[in-house]
Amino acid sequence: MSKKFRRNRIELPIGPQHPSLKEPASFRITLEGEKVVNAVIGVGYNHRGLEKACESRNYIQDLYLIERVCGICSHTHSTAFCQGIEELAGITIPRRAAYIRVMVAELERLHSHLLWLGVAAHEIGFDTMFMYTWRDREKVLDILAEVCGNRVNYGINTIGGVRRDVDEAMLQNMSKMADALESQVKYYLDLALTETTLSARLAGVGKLSYEDALRFGVVGPVARSAGIAYDIRVTEPYAAYGDIPVDLVTDTREDVLGRTVVRIKEMLVSLNIIRFCIKNLPDGDIAVKAPLRIPAGEVISRTEAPRGENIHYIRSNGTDKPDRVRVRAPSEANWRGVKHMLEGGYLADVPITIAAIDPCYSCTDRAIVIDSGSGTEVKDWQSLRQYSISWYKKQGIDVSAVKIPERKYY
Amino acid sequence: MQTENEIVEKLCGEFGFLQDKIYVQRQKRIFTGFLAKEEFEQVLHYAHDELGFYRASHVVGTDEGGDLGFIYLLSNEDGIILALKEKAPKSDPVINSMTDIYPSLELHERELVDLFGAVVEGLPEGPSYPLPDGWPKGNYPMRKDWDPKYFDRNTMTYNPPAGGAGKEGGSK
Repeated sequence: MSKKFRRNRIELPIGPQHPSLKEPASFRITLEGEKVVNAVIGVGYNHRGLEKACESRNYIQDLYLIERVCGICSHTHSTAFCQGIEELAGITIPRRAAYIRVMVAELERLHSHLLWLGVAAHEIGFDTMFMYTWRDREKVLDILAEVCGNRVNYGINTIGGVRRDVDEAMLQNMSKMADALESQVKYYLDLALTETTLSARLAGVGKLSYEDALRFGVVGPVARSAGIAYDIRVTEPYAAYGDIPVDLVTDTREDVLGRTVVRIKEMLVSLNIIRFCIKNLPDGDIAVKAPLRIPAGEVISRTEAPRGENIHYIRSNGTDKPDRVRVRAPSEANWRGVKHMLEGGYLADVPITIAAIDPCYSCTDRAIVIDSGSGTEVKDWQSLRQYSISWYKKQGIDVSAVKIPERKYY
Repeated sequence: MQTENEIVEKLCGEFGFLQDKIYVQRQKRIFTGFLAKEEFEQVLHYAHDELGFYRASHVVGTDEGGDLGFIYLLSNEDGIILALKEKAPKSDPVINSMTDIYPSLELHERELVDLFGAVVEGLPEGPSYPLPDGWPKGNYPMRKDWDPKYFDRNTMTYNPPAGGAGKEGGSK
């Protein structure tokens, strides 16, 4: 390369305000014209020292810390942690508890993938799809709130089983939600496969070949979109996954469009798993008693989080506190692959390429809270719509004539 | 598909020093004991080149008293995890980076540097991870003798009581 050409390189710092999601990471991008020739990723701004904190607390206290590793996929972390402790203590959890863990895990996968689909649509300027998917996600969160008492950080797992049982009414609502959501998810799949705006914007962007995906150790939908058939639910079935048929979704596009298609198809698989669990939910207890002191030993526990393989290493020294806890969340495995995906691509594709690995961020808002002077008011979906119509009216825009088509469930 | 026992047999056949230091913990889990640096590297290269352990998921740093422990988790296409352990004394905590064969380990090895005070030779240049800029030198928070209650977040200084716990401050 000539010296003249090298001089034309520009180094562009992006972040730590995140270019695509609401979590800090910095990217030092070197450009030649519009093309990215080098990317240096800086992460760690949110490291909270949870693993050190775990060493000075007992296993039950740690469970609450571990659940807060991630705001979106909190259940997968508490599941990995609990099943690791259960393995060390030689505990077998009741079948009903294993099924409930699976149901919550798949609801979590659904809301996480819907959230991602919305974010990805927003990144490419397709805000209508963003609003559709986030509206649909609300229905999944409503079910999670009904089953667990919380929309995020579900608190359903405990060492030895689960803390809450499900009743017939909850299962019926879950079944209704699954039917309503299935038609929407099929619509999104049709959009991803046929809508030219999406394919023109996503195809060929953020390429990562099969060989590179393996070399850089990427996991989850990023690996599966490069043709790697690797899913812990199938490779090493945990909880009740051994009883349940799980279709492993892969794609050969090796780009952001492939990652989109894999995630949408995985939602259909999740709906089938939820239906299977509803139909085959065993009777019985939901937890067994676990000892406070865990026998000395070490364990590697794995789950399939919405973003991929989640690994917990736990070492016990025979007391009620762990000697070492190390959490390898899936996003941590995907960062090295992102560097490779960015290099050789264009600057304008940087945000969607980063967003396509679905890096985690926390989301806990559930409804708009308005201070009316005499206290606070919590708005539900319908009243929120009325509020927005009257707000627009005050600006001189009347949208009340717009009719929303009747839906079976919404 | 190779079974866990076949993998252990192959490794033991190739490396005599592994005889009493490797075991199948359960289905899909093979653990080794702590190995010296040269032994560890020989086994890791063999696992990658000959046994199909193409994926490196994780490196776990541990405090082993006078030593630092490093547990490398490799896996093959069947999802079998080989947990290879390496040890280095705290007085000279030097290990070689494995990022030339497993680029995915870059972030994990950077963490060993920041949190445990390991010296990882051959690690590619790049920003440190995960401690913030201005973190006091010689403070390695994941070492057992480093106690967070003596750390002042406002001044970013570590002030253990004289002669008390944490006097070493994790310094190497």
